[in-house]
Amino acid sequence: MNMHSSEATTAEEAIAAQEALPPLTNEEATKVAMSNTLLTPRFYTTDFDEMDAIDVTPVRAEWDKLIAAMKADPNRGHFKKNEDWDTVDWDGMEPALKAEFIDFLISSCTAEFSGCVLYKEMKRRGSNDDITTLFQLMARDEARHAGFINDALREAGIAVNLGFLTQAKKYTYFRPKFIYYATYLSEKIGYARYITIYRHLEANPEHRFHPIFKWFREWCNDEFSHGEAFALLMKTDPALTESRVNKLWIKFFLTAVYSTMWVRDHQRPEFHKALGVDPAWYGQEVFRKTSEISKQVFPMTLDIDHPRWIPQLNKMQAANVQIALGRKQGGFGGWVKRMAGSARAGMAFLSLLTIPVETNEVPQSPRLEPAY
Amino acid sequence: MGLITRSKETAPCTVTISHRFEELSAHVRLDNGAVIHPGDTVQVQGPEIMAAFGEIVEEQRTAVITRASKLEQMWTRATGDLEFMELCEFSFSEEVMS
Repeated sequence: MNMHSSEATTAEEAIAAQEALPPLTNEEATKVAMSNTLLTPRFYTTDFDEMDAIDVTPVRAEWDKLIAAMKADPNRGHFKKNEDWDTVDWDGMEPALKAEFIDFLISSCTAEFSGCVLYKEMKRRGSNDDITTLFQLMARDEARHAGFINDALREAGIAVNLGFLTQAKKYTYFRPKFIYYATYLSEKIGYARYITIYRHLEANPEHRFHPIFKWFREWCNDEFSHGEAFALLMKTDPALTESRVNKLWIKFFLTAVYSTMWVRDHQRPEFHKALGVDPAWYGQEVFRKTSEISKQVFPMTLDIDHPRWIPQLNKMQAANVQIALGRKQGGFGGWVKRMAGSARAGMAFLSLLTIPVETNEVPQSPRLEPAY
Repeated sequence: MGLITRSKETAPCTVTISHRFEELSAHVRLDNGAVIHPGDTVQVQGPEIMAAFGEIVEEQRTAVITRASKLEQMWTRATGDLEFMELCEFSFSEEVMS
Protein backbone atom coordinates (compact mmCIF):
# COMPACT_ATOMS: atom_id res chain seq x y z
CA MET A 1 0.00 0.00 0.00
CA ASN A 2 1.15 3.52 -0.68
CA MET A 3 2.22 5.71 2.17
CA HIS A 4 -0.45 8.14 3.27
CA SER A 5 0.54 11.79 2.97
CA SER A 6 -0.08 12.22 6.69
CA GLU A 7 2.81 9.87 7.37
CA ALA A 8 5.20 11.79 5.16
CA THR A 9 8.09 13.53 6.83
CA THR A 10 8.73 16.14 4.15
CA ALA A 11 6.54 18.19 1.87
CA GLU A 12 7.97 16.34 -1.14
CA GLU A 13 7.02 12.99 0.31
CA ALA A 14 3.56 14.23 1.16
CA ILE A 15 3.10 15.42 -2.42
CA ALA A 16 4.35 12.13 -3.82
CA ALA A 17 2.04 10.19 -1.51
CA GLN A 18 -0.92 12.31 -2.52
CA GLU A 19 -0.15 11.98 -6.21
CA ALA A 20 -0.24 8.21 -5.79
CA LEU A 21 -3.80 8.35 -4.45
CA PRO A 22 -6.58 7.13 -6.72
CA PRO A 23 -8.71 9.87 -8.31
CA LEU A 24 -11.30 11.36 -5.99
CA THR A 25 -14.64 9.71 -6.39
CA ASN A 26 -16.26 10.63 -3.11
CA GLU A 27 -19.53 12.07 -4.35
CA GLU A 28 -20.42 13.49 -0.99
CA ALA A 29 -17.16 15.42 -0.86
CA THR A 30 -17.56 16.71 -4.39
CA LYS A 31 -21.05 17.90 -3.57
CA VAL A 32 -19.80 19.77 -0.53
CA ALA A 33 -17.03 21.38 -2.56
CA MET A 34 -19.45 22.43 -5.27
CA SER A 35 -22.12 23.71 -2.94
CA ASN A 36 -19.56 25.78 -1.07
CA THR A 37 -18.49 27.64 -4.22
CA LEU A 38 -14.95 26.81 -3.39
CA LEU A 39 -12.37 29.50 -4.01
CA THR A 40 -14.35 32.43 -5.26
CA PRO A 41 -12.11 35.32 -4.28
CA ARG A 42 -13.30 38.87 -4.77
CA PHE A 43 -11.45 41.31 -6.98
CA TYR A 44 -10.86 44.87 -5.94
CA THR A 45 -9.23 48.01 -7.07
CA THR A 46 -8.24 50.82 -4.80
CA ASP A 47 -6.57 54.18 -5.08
CA PHE A 48 -3.12 52.84 -5.92
CA ASP A 49 -1.67 56.36 -6.25
CA GLU A 50 -2.70 57.15 -2.70
CA MET A 51 -1.12 53.92 -1.48
CA ASP A 52 2.03 54.64 -3.42
CA ALA A 53 2.28 58.00 -1.74
CA ILE A 54 2.49 56.49 1.75
CA ASP A 55 5.65 57.62 3.44
CA VAL A 56 6.76 55.36 6.27
CA THR A 57 9.43 57.84 7.46
CA PRO A 58 7.61 58.60 10.76
CA VAL A 59 7.76 54.90 11.69
CA ARG A 60 10.91 54.02 9.76
CA ALA A 61 12.86 52.31 12.56
CA GLU A 62 9.99 50.03 13.51
CA TRP A 63 9.03 49.45 9.90
CA ASP A 64 12.51 48.25 8.94
CA LYS A 65 12.63 45.94 11.95
CA LEU A 66 9.28 44.37 11.08
CA ILE A 67 10.12 43.91 7.40
CA ALA A 68 13.50 42.39 8.31
CA ALA A 69 11.75 39.92 10.63
CA MET A 70 9.29 38.99 7.90
CA LYS A 71 12.09 38.60 5.37
CA ALA A 72 13.95 36.29 7.76
CA ASP A 73 10.87 34.07 7.41
CA PRO A 74 10.94 32.20 10.74
CA ASN A 75 7.96 30.10 9.64
CA ARG A 76 9.53 28.80 6.46
CA GLY A 77 9.94 25.31 7.87
CA HIS A 78 6.77 25.29 9.92
CA PHE A 79 4.16 24.41 7.32
CA LYS A 80 5.30 20.88 6.74
CA LYS A 81 3.68 17.70 7.81
CA ASN A 82 5.68 15.79 10.37
CA GLU A 83 5.01 13.03 12.87
CA ASP A 84 2.62 15.38 14.72
CA TRP A 85 0.19 15.16 11.82
CA ASP A 86 -1.88 12.23 13.08
CA THR A 87 -4.18 10.17 10.92
CA VAL A 88 -7.61 11.70 10.61
CA ASP A 89 -10.61 9.41 10.82
CA TRP A 90 -12.77 11.25 8.31
CA ASP A 91 -15.17 8.33 7.89
CA GLY A 92 -15.69 8.02 11.62
CA MET A 93 -16.43 11.71 12.06
CA GLU A 94 -20.01 12.68 12.87
CA PRO A 95 -21.56 13.94 9.59
CA ALA A 96 -22.72 17.23 11.14
CA LEU A 97 -19.27 17.88 12.59
CA LYS A 98 -17.64 16.89 9.33
CA ALA A 99 -19.81 19.35 7.37
CA GLU A 100 -19.01 22.20 9.77
CA PHE A 101 -15.32 21.39 9.88
CA ILE A 102 -15.10 21.24 6.09
CA ASP A 103 -16.88 24.60 5.95
CA PHE A 104 -14.18 25.86 8.31
CA LEU A 105 -11.38 24.54 6.09
CA ILE A 106 -12.92 25.82 2.86
CA SER A 107 -13.71 29.27 4.26
CA SER A 108 -10.24 29.57 5.74
CA CYS A 109 -8.61 28.44 2.51
CA THR A 110 -10.68 30.92 0.48
CA ALA A 111 -9.82 33.73 2.88
CA GLU A 112 -6.09 33.03 2.67
CA PHE A 113 -6.37 32.73 -1.08
CA SER A 114 -8.28 36.01 -1.45
CA GLY A 115 -5.75 37.76 0.77
CA CYS A 116 -3.01 36.49 -1.50
CA VAL A 117 -4.79 37.78 -4.64
CA LEU A 118 -5.35 41.20 -3.05
CA TYR A 119 -1.80 41.59 -1.72
CA LYS A 120 -0.22 40.41 -4.95
CA GLU A 121 -2.30 42.89 -6.94
CA MET A 122 -1.19 45.72 -4.66
CA LYS A 123 2.40 44.62 -4.99
CA ARG A 124 2.10 44.70 -8.76
CA ARG A 125 0.33 48.02 -9.05
CA GLY A 126 2.53 49.92 -6.63
CA SER A 127 5.93 51.47 -7.20
CA ASN A 128 6.77 52.46 -3.62
CA ASP A 129 9.41 49.97 -2.49
CA ASP A 130 8.38 49.89 1.16
CA ILE A 131 4.79 49.13 0.33
CA THR A 132 5.41 46.61 -2.46
CA THR A 133 7.90 44.69 -0.30
CA LEU A 134 5.34 44.40 2.47
CA PHE A 135 2.60 43.16 0.16
CA GLN A 136 4.94 40.68 -1.49
CA LEU A 137 5.83 39.19 1.91
CA MET A 138 2.21 38.98 3.01
CA ALA A 139 1.18 37.35 -0.27
CA ARG A 140 3.88 34.73 0.37
CA ASP A 141 2.44 33.86 3.79
CA GLU A 142 -1.14 33.70 2.59
CA ALA A 143 -0.29 31.41 -0.35
CA ARG A 144 1.61 29.14 2.03
CA HIS A 145 -1.32 28.97 4.46
CA ALA A 146 -3.74 28.29 1.60
CA GLY A 147 -1.54 25.44 0.38
CA PHE A 148 -1.44 23.89 3.82
CA ILE A 149 -5.23 24.00 4.26
CA ASN A 150 -5.68 22.75 0.72
CA ASP A 151 -3.68 19.68 1.65
CA ALA A 152 -5.92 19.02 4.65
CA LEU A 153 -8.91 19.31 2.31
CA ARG A 154 -7.39 16.83 -0.10
CA GLU A 155 -7.09 14.35 2.72
CA ALA A 156 -10.81 14.78 3.25
CA GLY A 157 -11.35 14.00 -0.42
CA ILE A 158 -12.04 17.54 -1.57
CA ALA A 159 -10.26 19.03 -4.56
CA VAL A 160 -10.08 22.77 -5.04
CA ASN A 161 -11.80 24.20 -8.06
CA LEU A 162 -10.03 27.13 -9.68
CA GLY A 163 -12.72 27.58 -12.32
CA PHE A 164 -13.17 31.19 -11.27
CA LEU A 165 -10.08 32.10 -13.25
CA THR A 166 -11.92 31.89 -16.56
CA GLN A 167 -15.17 33.39 -15.29
CA ALA A 168 -16.03 37.06 -15.70
CA LYS A 169 -14.79 39.04 -12.71
CA LYS A 170 -16.17 42.41 -11.82
CA TYR A 171 -13.82 44.69 -9.92
CA THR A 172 -15.24 46.63 -7.03
CA TYR A 173 -13.55 49.51 -5.27
CA PHE A 174 -12.36 50.18 -1.73
CA ARG A 175 -10.77 53.32 -0.45
CA PRO A 176 -7.32 52.53 1.00
CA LYS A 177 -8.41 53.40 4.54
CA PHE A 178 -11.17 50.80 4.37
CA ILE A 179 -8.58 48.23 3.41
CA TYR A 180 -6.42 49.26 6.37
CA TYR A 181 -9.21 49.09 8.94
CA ALA A 182 -10.72 45.87 7.65
CA THR A 183 -7.48 44.05 7.01
CA TYR A 184 -5.86 45.18 10.25
CA LEU A 185 -8.83 43.97 12.23
CA SER A 186 -9.14 40.79 10.25
CA GLU A 187 -5.49 39.85 10.82
CA LYS A 188 -5.61 40.65 14.53
CA ILE A 189 -8.89 38.90 15.16
CA GLY A 190 -7.50 35.93 13.20
CA TYR A 191 -4.54 35.85 15.57
CA ALA A 192 -6.83 36.01 18.61
CA ARG A 193 -9.08 33.26 17.23
CA TYR A 194 -6.24 30.87 16.44
CA ILE A 195 -4.28 31.40 19.63
CA THR A 196 -7.39 31.02 21.81
CA ILE A 197 -8.16 27.65 20.21
CA TYR A 198 -4.51 26.63 20.41
CA ARG A 199 -4.23 27.42 24.13
CA HIS A 200 -7.55 25.75 24.87
CA LEU A 201 -6.44 22.55 23.11
CA GLU A 202 -3.07 22.67 24.81
CA ALA A 203 -4.94 22.38 28.11
CA ASN A 204 -7.55 19.95 26.74
CA PRO A 205 -5.78 17.80 24.13
CA GLU A 206 -8.59 15.20 24.13
CA HIS A 207 -10.69 17.71 22.14
CA ARG A 208 -8.17 18.08 19.34
CA PHE A 209 -10.10 16.23 16.65
CA HIS A 210 -7.81 17.21 13.78
CA PRO A 211 -4.02 17.75 13.69
CA ILE A 212 -4.25 21.10 11.90
CA PHE A 213 -4.92 22.82 15.25
CA LYS A 214 -1.37 21.93 16.34
CA TRP A 215 -0.06 24.32 13.68
CA PHE A 216 -2.10 27.30 14.85
CA ARG A 217 0.50 28.92 17.09
CA GLU A 218 3.14 29.68 14.48
CA TRP A 219 0.41 30.24 11.91
CA CYS A 220 -1.20 33.00 13.91
CA ASN A 221 2.16 34.70 14.40
CA ASP A 222 2.05 35.43 10.66
CA GLU A 223 -1.40 36.98 11.09
CA PHE A 224 -0.03 38.96 13.99
CA SER A 225 2.83 40.48 12.02
CA HIS A 226 0.56 41.34 9.09
CA GLY A 227 -1.59 43.23 11.57
CA GLU A 228 1.52 44.98 12.90
CA ALA A 229 2.32 46.21 9.40
CA PHE A 230 -1.16 47.71 9.00
CA ALA A 231 -0.88 49.31 12.44
CA LEU A 232 2.33 51.02 11.31
CA LEU A 233 0.71 52.07 8.02
CA MET A 234 -2.13 53.72 9.95
CA LYS A 235 0.42 55.45 12.15
CA THR A 236 1.91 57.24 9.13
CA ASP A 237 -1.22 59.39 8.86
CA PRO A 238 -2.71 60.42 12.23
CA ALA A 239 -5.97 61.54 10.60
CA LEU A 240 -6.73 57.90 9.83
CA THR A 241 -7.39 57.16 13.48
CA GLU A 242 -7.92 60.59 15.00
CA SER A 243 -10.40 62.51 12.87
CA ARG A 244 -14.00 62.56 14.07
CA VAL A 245 -15.38 60.83 10.99
CA ASN A 246 -12.72 58.14 11.01
CA LYS A 247 -13.34 57.42 14.68
CA LEU A 248 -16.94 56.71 13.78
CA TRP A 249 -15.80 54.44 10.97
CA ILE A 250 -13.54 52.52 13.34
CA LYS A 251 -16.38 52.01 15.80
CA PHE A 252 -18.59 50.86 12.96
CA PHE A 253 -15.94 48.40 11.76
CA LEU A 254 -15.33 46.98 15.21
CA THR A 255 -19.05 46.47 15.81
CA ALA A 256 -19.66 44.93 12.40
CA VAL A 257 -16.71 42.54 12.61
CA TYR A 258 -17.32 41.43 16.20
CA SER A 259 -21.04 40.86 15.66
CA THR A 260 -20.50 38.97 12.39
CA MET A 261 -18.01 36.71 14.10
CA TRP A 262 -20.47 36.04 16.93
CA VAL A 263 -23.28 35.16 14.51
CA ARG A 264 -21.15 32.87 12.37
CA ASP A 265 -19.56 31.03 15.29
CA HIS A 266 -22.98 30.38 16.81
CA GLN A 267 -24.05 28.83 13.50
CA ARG A 268 -21.40 26.11 13.95
CA PRO A 269 -22.50 24.33 17.16
CA GLU A 270 -20.97 20.93 16.35
CA PHE A 271 -17.53 22.36 15.63
CA HIS A 272 -17.46 24.15 18.97
CA LYS A 273 -18.93 21.19 20.83
CA ALA A 274 -16.20 18.92 19.46
CA LEU A 275 -13.55 21.41 20.58
CA GLY A 276 -15.22 21.57 23.99
CA VAL A 277 -15.70 25.32 23.61
CA ASP A 278 -18.73 27.43 24.43
CA PRO A 279 -19.03 29.85 21.47
CA ALA A 280 -20.14 32.68 23.78
CA TRP A 281 -17.09 32.24 26.01
CA TYR A 282 -14.89 31.92 22.94
CA GLY A 283 -16.36 35.06 21.36
CA GLN A 284 -15.83 37.19 24.45
CA GLU A 285 -12.32 35.83 24.91
CA VAL A 286 -11.41 36.65 21.29
CA PHE A 287 -12.98 40.14 21.58
CA ARG A 288 -11.04 40.79 24.79
CA LYS A 289 -7.71 39.85 23.21
CA THR A 290 -8.44 41.74 19.99
CA SER A 291 -9.50 44.86 21.91
CA GLU A 292 -6.36 44.73 24.04
CA ILE A 293 -4.17 44.45 20.95
CA SER A 294 -6.06 47.10 18.98
CA LYS A 295 -5.28 49.67 21.67
CA GLN A 296 -1.96 49.98 19.86
CA VAL A 297 -3.61 52.07 17.16
CA PHE A 298 -7.37 52.53 17.65
CA PRO A 299 -8.45 55.39 19.94
CA MET A 300 -11.27 53.32 21.47
CA THR A 301 -12.39 49.82 22.33
CA LEU A 302 -15.94 48.47 22.42
CA ASP A 303 -17.51 47.94 25.83
CA ILE A 304 -18.05 44.19 25.60
CA ASP A 305 -19.13 43.96 29.24
CA HIS A 306 -22.00 46.39 28.71
CA PRO A 307 -25.37 44.87 29.74
CA ARG A 308 -26.70 45.31 26.18
CA TRP A 309 -23.74 43.67 24.44
CA ILE A 310 -24.42 39.90 24.65
CA PRO A 311 -28.26 40.14 24.56
CA GLN A 312 -28.14 42.19 21.35
CA LEU A 313 -25.57 39.85 19.78
CA ASN A 314 -27.93 36.97 20.52
CA LYS A 315 -30.81 38.89 18.94
CA MET A 316 -28.74 39.36 15.81
CA GLN A 317 -28.01 35.66 15.74
CA ALA A 318 -31.72 34.79 16.12
CA ALA A 319 -32.63 37.28 13.38
CA ASN A 320 -30.07 35.68 11.11
CA VAL A 321 -31.62 32.25 11.62
CA GLN A 322 -35.02 33.76 10.78
CA ILE A 323 -33.65 35.26 7.55
CA ALA A 324 -32.19 31.89 6.55
CA LEU A 325 -35.48 30.14 7.29
CA GLY A 326 -37.33 32.71 5.19
CA ARG A 327 -34.96 32.22 2.28
CA LYS A 328 -35.40 28.44 2.49
CA GLN A 329 -39.19 28.74 2.68
CA GLY A 330 -39.42 31.01 -0.37
CA GLY A 331 -42.63 32.59 -1.67
CA PHE A 332 -44.41 35.50 -0.07
CA GLY A 333 -44.38 34.00 3.43
CA GLY A 334 -40.65 33.49 3.17
CA TRP A 335 -40.16 37.03 1.96
CA VAL A 336 -42.09 38.42 4.94
CA LYS A 337 -40.02 36.29 7.30
CA ARG A 338 -36.83 37.54 5.69
CA MET A 339 -37.82 41.18 5.87
CA ALA A 340 -38.87 40.85 9.51
CA GLY A 341 -35.57 39.14 10.27
CA SER A 342 -33.59 41.88 8.50
CA ALA A 343 -35.42 44.56 10.48
CA ARG A 344 -34.66 42.77 13.75
CA ALA A 345 -31.01 42.35 12.79
CA GLY A 346 -30.82 46.03 11.88
CA MET A 347 -32.33 47.08 15.22
CA ALA A 348 -29.94 44.84 17.15
CA PHE A 349 -26.99 46.27 15.22
CA LEU A 350 -28.11 49.83 15.94
CA SER A 351 -28.43 48.98 19.60
CA LEU A 352 -24.87 47.60 19.63
CA LEU A 353 -23.60 50.63 17.75
CA THR A 354 -25.02 53.02 20.34
CA ILE A 355 -23.24 51.40 23.30
CA PRO A 356 -20.72 54.04 24.45
CA VAL A 357 -17.10 53.14 23.71
CA GLU A 358 -14.19 53.08 26.12
CA THR A 359 -11.69 55.67 24.98
CA ASN A 360 -8.06 54.77 24.77
CA GLU A 361 -4.84 56.76 24.82
CA VAL A 362 -2.90 55.42 21.84
CA PRO A 363 0.82 54.92 22.62
CA GLN A 364 3.50 56.71 20.64
CA SER A 365 4.96 53.46 19.37
CA PRO A 366 2.43 50.87 18.26
CA ARG A 367 4.71 47.83 18.02
CA LEU A 368 3.65 44.70 19.92
CA GLU A 369 4.82 41.11 20.08
CA PRO A 370 2.43 38.14 20.24
CA ALA A 371 2.02 37.35 23.92
CA TYR A 372 -1.06 35.18 24.37
CA MET B 1 -15.63 56.01 -22.18
CA GLY B 2 -19.25 57.10 -22.49
CA LEU B 3 -21.41 58.27 -19.66
CA ILE B 4 -23.73 55.31 -20.01
CA THR B 5 -22.12 53.14 -22.69
CA ARG B 6 -19.75 50.29 -22.04
CA SER B 7 -16.90 49.38 -24.34
CA LYS B 8 -14.91 46.22 -24.82
CA GLU B 9 -11.25 45.66 -25.46
CA THR B 10 -8.93 42.68 -25.40
CA ALA B 11 -5.56 42.31 -23.76
CA PRO B 12 -2.99 39.52 -23.79
CA CYS B 13 -2.60 38.08 -20.33
CA THR B 14 -0.60 35.56 -18.35
CA VAL B 15 -2.39 33.25 -15.95
CA THR B 16 -0.26 31.63 -13.28
CA ILE B 17 -1.52 28.91 -10.98
CA SER B 18 0.48 27.29 -8.23
CA HIS B 19 -1.28 24.22 -6.90
CA ARG B 20 1.35 22.90 -4.58
CA PHE B 21 1.65 21.87 -0.97
CA GLU B 22 3.86 24.87 -0.21
CA GLU B 23 1.82 27.39 -2.18
CA LEU B 24 -1.74 27.66 -3.43
CA SER B 25 -2.22 30.80 -5.51
CA ALA B 26 -3.54 32.01 -8.83
CA HIS B 27 -3.02 35.31 -10.63
CA VAL B 28 -3.95 36.98 -13.88
CA ARG B 29 -1.55 39.59 -15.23
CA LEU B 30 -2.50 41.84 -18.12
CA ASP B 31 0.61 41.90 -20.27
CA ASN B 32 -0.03 45.11 -22.21
CA GLY B 33 -0.18 47.22 -19.08
CA ALA B 34 -3.96 47.74 -19.32
CA VAL B 35 -5.30 49.16 -16.05
CA ILE B 36 -8.51 47.94 -14.47
CA HIS B 37 -10.81 50.59 -13.08
CA PRO B 38 -13.70 50.26 -10.63
CA GLY B 39 -16.67 48.51 -12.20
CA ASP B 40 -14.73 46.98 -15.10
CA THR B 41 -15.19 43.28 -15.78
CA VAL B 42 -12.38 40.97 -16.86
CA GLN B 43 -12.86 37.58 -18.46
CA VAL B 44 -10.07 35.26 -19.47
CA GLN B 45 -10.94 33.47 -22.72
CA GLY B 46 -10.61 29.76 -23.40
CA PRO B 47 -11.22 26.56 -21.49
CA GLU B 48 -10.83 26.24 -17.73
CA ILE B 49 -7.21 26.25 -16.65
CA MET B 50 -6.23 23.31 -14.49
CA ALA B 51 -3.12 22.58 -12.50
CA ALA B 52 -2.69 19.13 -11.03
CA PHE B 53 -1.61 18.94 -7.44
CA GLY B 54 2.10 19.62 -7.19
CA GLU B 55 2.22 21.71 -10.37
CA ILE B 56 2.75 25.31 -11.39
CA VAL B 57 0.99 26.18 -14.64
CA GLU B 58 1.54 29.34 -16.64
CA GLU B 59 -0.55 30.06 -19.72
CA GLN B 60 -0.76 32.91 -22.21
CA ARG B 61 -4.35 33.80 -22.87
CA THR B 62 -6.51 36.67 -24.06
CA ALA B 63 -8.63 38.64 -21.64
CA VAL B 64 -11.70 40.59 -22.61
CA ILE B 65 -12.07 43.75 -20.56
CA THR B 66 -15.54 45.24 -20.45
CA ARG B 67 -15.08 48.84 -19.45
CA ALA B 68 -17.70 50.22 -17.11
CA SER B 69 -19.51 53.35 -18.25
CA LYS B 70 -18.56 56.57 -16.50
CA LEU B 71 -21.75 56.38 -14.49
CA GLU B 72 -21.12 52.79 -13.46
CA GLN B 73 -17.58 53.65 -12.46
CA MET B 74 -18.76 56.51 -10.27
CA TRP B 75 -21.39 54.26 -8.71
CA THR B 76 -18.84 51.53 -7.94
CA ARG B 77 -16.48 54.09 -6.42
CA ALA B 78 -19.25 55.51 -4.27
CA THR B 79 -20.72 52.25 -3.07
CA GLY B 80 -17.84 49.75 -3.19
CA ASP B 81 -16.84 50.59 0.36
CA LEU B 82 -20.16 49.24 1.61
CA GLU B 83 -19.00 45.75 0.72
CA PHE B 84 -16.08 46.03 3.09
CA MET B 85 -17.09 42.88 4.98
CA GLU B 86 -15.69 41.00 1.99
CA LEU B 87 -12.26 42.02 3.23
CA CYS B 88 -12.72 40.29 6.57
CA GLU B 89 -12.25 36.61 7.26
CA PHE B 90 -14.40 34.77 9.76
CA SER B 91 -13.33 31.12 9.50
CA PHE B 92 -16.89 30.15 8.53
CA SER B 93 -19.24 30.87 5.64
CA GLU B 94 -22.44 32.78 6.37
CA GLU B 95 -24.57 29.77 5.51
CA VAL B 96 -26.86 28.43 8.25
CA MET B 97 -26.25 24.67 8.21
CA SER B 98 -28.36 23.16 10.93
